[in-house]
Order: sequence, then C-alpha cells, then structure tokens
Amino acid sequence: MVEEAEVSEQPPRTAGTRRGRSKPLGFAITLVVALAFFVGIGLLFHAQTYSAPAGTLVATRVGTSTVNGVSLQHVTLAFNTYPDASGTHNGVAVHPGGNSAWPTYGPTNQFQVPAHSLVTVTIRQYDSGGSLNNAWFDKVRGTVGGTATINGKVVTSINPNNVGHTFTVRGTPGTDPNFFVNVPLPLVPGDSQTDNGKYETVTFSFVSGAKGLYAWNCEFPCGTSVASFGGPMNAYGYMSGFVHVV
Amino acid sequence: MSSDAPGVGEPPLLEPADPPVQEEPFFSRPLGKIFIIWLAMTTVGVLIGIFVPHHVMPTLLSHEATDVWRTIVLFTILAAPVAALVYSVAAYSLIAWRHRGNQDEPPEDGPPLRGNNMVTGVWLATSTVLVLVLLAWGLSVYSSDETSHPGTLVVDVTGQQWLWTFSYPGTGVNTRSLVLPINRPVEFDVTSVDVTHGFWPVALGVQVDANPGVVTVIRASPDKLGNFTVRCSQLCGLYHSFMYAPGAVVTKAKFSQWLQSQGASTTTAQAAALITKQ
Repeated sequence: MVEEAEVSEQPPRTAGTRRGRSKPLGFAITLVVALAFFVGIGLLFHAQTYSAPAGTLVATRVGTSTVNGVSLQHVTLAFNTYPDASGTHNGVAVHPGGNSAWPTYGPTNQFQVPAHSLVTVTIRQYDSGGSLNNAWFDKVRGTVGGTATINGKVVTSINPNNVGHTFTVRGTPGTDPNFFVNVPLPLVPGDSQTDNGKYETVTFSFVSGAKGLYAWNCEFPCGTSVASFGGPMNAYGYMSGFVHVV
Repeated sequence: MSSDAPGVGEPPLLEPADPPVQEEPFFSRPLGKIFIIWLAMTTVGVLIGIFVPHHVMPTLLSHEATDVWRTIVLFTILAAPVAALVYSVAAYSLIAWRHRGNQDEPPEDGPPLRGNNMVTGVWLATSTVLVLVLLAWGLSVYSSDETSHPGTLVVDVTGQQWLWTFSYPGTGVNTRSLVLPINRPVEFDVTSVDVTHGFWPVALGVQVDANPGVVTVIRASPDKLGNFTVRCSQLCGLYHSFMYAPGAVVTKAKFSQWLQSQGASTTTAQAAALITKQ
C-alpha cells in the first residue's frame, strides 16, 4: 500500500515536462549573467585604460625646407613635460583629472603631422630625473643630422645619469618598421615633483614617415613599481601616446 | 529403413531450419559508418597538416624555422587519425543516437567498454607509440638546434618596455635592428632591464623569455636571405603590442658594410663578419 501511494505521488518522468519548466528561467539567468560579465569588463577597461589629456595637437605648417636636396613641407610641434599631471601651467590644467603624483607630457599625448614632411619639435622639459636603465637611449637618434639642440647648444647625446625623459617614436610593421626617433631630454637640476617654473628647451627635427599610426613613449624609468616602469609609464595618456601621420 | 526412423504421422526429429539471417553489410552498421566518418576526417586532417602550415607560417629564414615547420606538419599528420576517431564517434553519436523529443524516455546505454581488454590494449599501445615518436622527434630537433658551433656570432639582446636593442660584442655596435649574416650560426644572449619580455624573431623559428637580471642563451642558423620582424611574446605592459624590431638576414659582405655604417671600424667589421667567437 505504501509503495503504491509513493508511486502515485510522483509526476510522470518525461523529459519534455522537466525541461519545459526550467528552460526559460535558465536561459534568462544565463543571459543576464553573460550581459553583466561583458558590461563589467567593458566598464573596467573604460575606467582604467583611457586617460588622455586634451585632444590631438596638429602640427603647424610653416613653409617648405630642403633636407638632403629634397624639398619638404615644414611643420612644427610644441609641447611640454610636467612633473605633476594634476597641476596647472599658465593657468591651464595640465592633465584634467590626472594623477597628482605622476609626471606627464602635455597638453596632450596625441600628435598629428603630415607624411614625408620635415617636423620640427620643441619640448620644454620641466621635470627632474635621474639615470637611464639602458644608456643606449642617451643618444639622439633618427633626427636630421643626428642632433638636437638643448638650450641653444647642439648635442648628439646627453649624460645618461642626468635624464628627465625621452621622446622615443617608433614605426611598426604596418607603417614603416625602420622609422625611429629618440631624443633624450635633460633633467631640471634640483627639481623634485613640483613645477618650479624652470625648464630645459629641446629642439629637434625629423622627417616623418609614411601615413599611419606611430607609437611614442618615454624610455626613462620615471614611473612607479617594477623597475620604475609602472604608474605613468604604463597608463595611457602620461608618458606615452601616438603620432598620427596623415 | 531404420527402426529409429520416425513413423508416418510423427513429427520430424529436427525442426525445420530458420531462414538464414541476412548479415548487415559492414558499412551499414554503426561501426562501418563511424569508420567512414573517421576516414574522411583523417584525410581532411592529413591534408591540412600537409598544405596549411606552408601558407600560414611566416617566411622561414633559418634551419630552426624549417625544423619547426617540419615538426608542425608531422605532429598534425600523426594527430589527425586520433582526433578524427574522437570526433567521428562523437559526430555519429550525436546524429544517430540522439534522444529525440517525441520519445518519453532516453534509450538505454550500450554495453560499457570497461573490461574490454582488446580495446584498452590497442588504445594504450597506439598512444604509447605516438607519444614516443613525438618525444624522439622533439628531442632530436631540440638537440640539433641547441648545439654550439665554431664561428658563432654572438648578439646581446636587451628587452625593455617597449623596445629591443642589440649589441654586437667586440664591434661597439648597438642598434635597434637585428642584422645577421647568412650561413653563420648565431648565439643570442637575451636579457631584460625591467619586466619579463619574450624575444621572438618569428622567421628564425626560435623564442625565449628575456628575464631581468638573467642571461638566457638561444641559438639560430640563418640560411636564407630576407627581412623579418622581432616581436615580444610576453604581455609586458601598455605598449606590448608595439614592441617590434626590424631584422634582416644579409650576405656577409653586406653585414660587414652594415657594421661599418653603425660605427664599427673597417677592420673590426670585416673580422666580425667572418668570426667573432671560436
């Protein structure tokens, strides 16, 4: 009698019935979890990876110049390096929302120059510095004449122990893999992490490559954590960026 | 007539034989169908192993890269029948033995394979032979690639975020381009000044980690002229994807000229183009 009662209470075991009840709910839960996962990943990337200062700095055309017997369009760029990303310079925020303890290039890290043109760059270096971890970057490379001008003096290299930052641009296999420019920027003596108004003026020229996206970064270890290549060195918008050749 | 013979009207001693059972042809049975699927998948796998690597791999500029290519081809061909066996059984099971919605209860499982010594033995023996062949092949290739040769050119490789630099000891040449003479063994002494990078000149068929504070040695033997790219194979930070260096395998004469263009003296360059390490 007992066995009969137990059997009669059990619903018929049909796969269709079991699946029919749980399928919509399971599908909805899976969909919600998947959506939440991907939205979360997206928000995480958005919050942590993109922190660019102002928009792209477009080079100013100043005429034509001759380099190695070839007449080229001549453009100029002017930007700075600062010890404090959250500070102001001439009343203008250097890096709106930037980390106050991090050095940065400014007013932007994105530059635009025309292809196959003579580009003259002027950088005011306001930051302190120290020693390179690879002295290969103490030499000026890839510029016109292999030289740069520091406070009016022509140089081919600087003391590897007195470097503030470097401006190092490289081509990629998608553009021109052999394109390379490296200019070491001397430190401002006696400075720490505050902008005391003193600066070093570095000027150099290079001939831009083919159209495409070129990456640049600083090769002086001015960041935090591992080998001083964390923090501003590994966060977009501070010590790295892109040169858009159009 | 024997006295044992059944009399008239008595039933015969032997029942009339059943009509002979028509045995189902092999290829109509599940095993035969699985065999056909396996054969087709194996053929496709072998063809992929023979023809696809040639099209998807970069230009092969060294003896080691050729070894890598041969290894990929061999391993793919050997793996094809094994993978096809798994996929063919799975595919046939999904198609033929699928529980359909109009049935109330799933069909009964087939008899378990556990205890079938024949199947277990064949599976173990085949797996053992395949693994031993792969091991012997791999050790042989690795051994030949790691042998130091006289006249080896030494190149110091330094990785840092996010550039490679190359130094040619004895010449004073430090560059960001990796230029190598043809038909000359090369020893790369690889290190890093910050985080771990991965030194990977793809066309040379070698790859090794660049660890900070440690020099790791890897060798290659460029045997074809051409350009290549050095990449970083370890996720090393923000601009890892831009960590490239241009490379080239050139004639010994051009290698000497290139060294001079990078600042080496004529004597040093000519000497380095021949032998820098005995």
